[in-house]
Amino acid sequence: MSSETSAGWTKALSFRNISAIYIFIIIFVIFSTVTPRTFLQEGVWRTLLDAQAVTVIAAIAVMIPLVTGSFNLAIGAEVGFAGILIAVLQVKLGVPFAVAIPLTLLMGAIIGLVSGLIITKGRIDSFIATLGLSSILLAGLAWMSSNKQVIGLQDGFRSIATTTFLGITVPTYLMLLVAFVAWYVLERTPVGRRMYAAGYNPAGARLAGVQVSRLKVGALVAGGVIAAMAGILLTSRLNTGEPTVGPGLLLPALTAVFLGSTQFKGGRFNVWGTVIAVYVLATGIKGLQLIGAPPYISDLFNGVALLAAVGLSQWEKTSARTAAIRRSLPLRRRPRPEAAETPTRAESPTR
Amino acid sequence: MTMTAPPATDGAQDAPLMRAARIVKQFPGLRALDNVDLDVRSGEIVALVGHNGSGKSTLVKILAGIYKADEGEVSFAGDGGETTQLHIIHQDLGLVGELSTVENLRIAHGRGAGALSPTRRKEEIAHANRVIGRFGEGFDVTQPVASLAPAQRSIVAIGRALDGWSHARNVLILDEPTEALHATETEVLFDAVRRVAAEGAGVIFISHRLDEVLALADRAVVLRDGQKVADVPTAGLGHGDLVEYVTGASASTSLGRPTDRPLGDVVLDVRGLSGAGMSQVDLTLRAGEVVGVAGVLGSGRDLLPALVFGGVPSSAERYVLEGRPYQRRSPAESVRRGMAFVAGDRARLGGVTAMNARENMTLPELKSITGPVGTIRPKLEKALAKRLVERYDIRPARPEQAFSQFSGGNQQKIVFAKWLRNDPRVLVLEEPTQGVDIGAKQAIYDEIDAAAARGVAVLVCSSDAKELVRLCDRVVVMRSGTVAAELRGDELTEAALVLHGHGLVPASEEGEERSS
Repeated sequence: MSSETSAGWTKALSFRNISAIYIFIIIFVIFSTVTPRTFLQEGVWRTLLDAQAVTVIAAIAVMIPLVTGSFNLAIGAEVGFAGILIAVLQVKLGVPFAVAIPLTLLMGAIIGLVSGLIITKGRIDSFIATLGLSSILLAGLAWMSSNKQVIGLQDGFRSIATTTFLGITVPTYLMLLVAFVAWYVLERTPVGRRMYAAGYNPAGARLAGVQVSRLKVGALVAGGVIAAMAGILLTSRLNTGEPTVGPGLLLPALTAVFLGSTQFKGGRFNVWGTVIAVYVLATGIKGLQLIGAPPYISDLFNGVALLAAVGLSQWEKTSARTAAIRRSLPLRRRPRPEAAETPTRAESPTR
Repeated sequence: MTMTAPPATDGAQDAPLMRAARIVKQFPGLRALDNVDLDVRSGEIVALVGHNGSGKSTLVKILAGIYKADEGEVSFAGDGGETTQLHIIHQDLGLVGELSTVENLRIAHGRGAGALSPTRRKEEIAHANRVIGRFGEGFDVTQPVASLAPAQRSIVAIGRALDGWSHARNVLILDEPTEALHATETEVLFDAVRRVAAEGAGVIFISHRLDEVLALADRAVVLRDGQKVADVPTAGLGHGDLVEYVTGASASTSLGRPTDRPLGDVVLDVRGLSGAGMSQVDLTLRAGEVVGVAGVLGSGRDLLPALVFGGVPSSAERYVLEGRPYQRRSPAESVRRGMAFVAGDRARLGGVTAMNARENMTLPELKSITGPVGTIRPKLEKALAKRLVERYDIRPARPEQAFSQFSGGNQQKIVFAKWLRNDPRVLVLEEPTQGVDIGAKQAIYDEIDAAAARGVAVLVCSSDAKELVRLCDRVVVMRSGTVAAELRGDELTEAALVLHGHGLVPASEEGEERSS
């Protein structure tokens, strides 16, 4: 009987599948009408594309472990830590940036490995583990930077983010490269297939011969490296090691991953949904800022969007669960249908 | 309020407590229910029988008000102020495992302002003991229900249902209540159900196990393809008759035991396997041999498969798989070495429910469909999935449908397809036909026979003695965490399995000198 209801679902899904695109069109039309002179400038879009590349990379760094079932709430701290580390290595220790970059990426891998081991070997819930790790990283970040901007970066390093090919910046190309590799691994290889299985049903996947713990750790290591990459690009873009910007990426990154999961794949976390979600959210915020909304609008917008996105992605599961919940409650049937909802009333136990 | 119903007049006694009349339910492309009638009277136990997909669950959902019938109506008896209520106990029972019986009984109580009033512990315990005591032997009501035997948990669920009733003349629906129970536990549950009926309730009992239907129910209502094909008293009804109603085909051809199979070399040789409460288990499997594992609940029967497969940590004096020692066991390594494991808890462990059938079937072995650059080749994978769906007669034959949307029997066929396509050397099965309809059951038996004929060594653990007799060359009977007896050939009968399982045979007569 379930097959028949699935036909109805597919219909509903096809609309929901591309809702972000609809939202984007709506946002675009609204702001094009309200403020066409600023919103439709080429420069605005060029900046948007470049500025959000780091957010996309951070979002992919969150998404990869999430596919295997691990939340990474430390993403902001990881990006910030890497951003300061690359600056401190160059400025305070005089390490050439060509050496500092691989060192920072290695540090990202180590952070990912540590969080992975805490989660799998230490059996601490990923939520708590990465929350704790985030705090530790923020402390390390403050210690390295003394809570001040680290300035005086090497020239070659600064030019990474500003170099353009065909009018598009290096960070944007790197973002596309990371997205493509992540998509390839997740969607096209056995490893990706096993990662999804491990995330959806760890116990069942384990019995099917999937090495769940190893995949979880691997995903967090990959996420750590990608987060470090985001940190490096962020510092290069800002031209300074800025201790405050990294943590702010957590919310937009998480929001994009969850909004992205409602796109294309009917509830699966996926790379291109995430990429599009970042830009849809950023376009909305940009438009609001252009019509004079205060700066805190981005926090407000991201918060609302996160709740809406998660709500949307839970929709399907919830509708299936409703039946299960109704089953477990004692049902009362009376001739009056409205009374059928009345729960079992308290009664005296004496008989 | 008291539990005793006022003496009813004869006329009221005859009127059904609940009547579903001419129920029609149409799903897109399928008439799930076609003019189905069902009624239940006070004191009566009615069995609702049918294949998966016959319309049973749709009917129950309509009775419960979860679905709305397209035509027909459901009415309840309502004489005086006493209206009949409906209570459904599903297979999962809806209990909170971490809470005690006392707490589980009280979950639904104290709504509104009462929800914040303090609980009176002594009174509650006494009350819980009274509720449970009505069903025979009591147990510790302050223990978490997860630590109770499955039959005791069922009794808690039934007790809770009755506890909410203000009078006895209500309807209780039990949906597959015996799936997790062993034969003796089933009897305990049946006693409880009979008591409920004797007090004046109407009981609708849904089960795949036809012998249980015959043992418990007064009347059997059989659904096939959405239509009611029989509504007959069980007195004088034979097992074969019921099978015929359910399947629409004669039963004489089914359930034939295979003749003696030629056995090959020893594939798995285990000595002194211990872990998870099991100690010193010896086990040998030959190529082409089907070895059963029997035993009552708590005997270790249900733990042995996971222990052998490596899903649970264990130690062994000797563990040789295909001539090679294998000491550091893990599921991944076992799969690599040619073992396959069909877990009993299909809902939790059988498959990745959010993934589709294709992805589930290819998960354990992706190498053969992976191209030179490390990508899964979609065309190869889809073709493979299509072949498997046809080969194992999975319905609907849609590899892209989510695993969770298949019926229980077809989910199990998917699980079998996913393992058997890799030509395993050792197939470890745990309750292979649990929650599976008769048609799918026969298909699964055929697959197991075919696997053995190809030289696969099969270990099958089951709580169904008939199943073991049907499938196995040899059965080891577990008791208190170790092997208590081994039965083969003519000794292998349902009765012998039950006797040995309960230790009702003098130790000297047991096949092995391993009395505990």
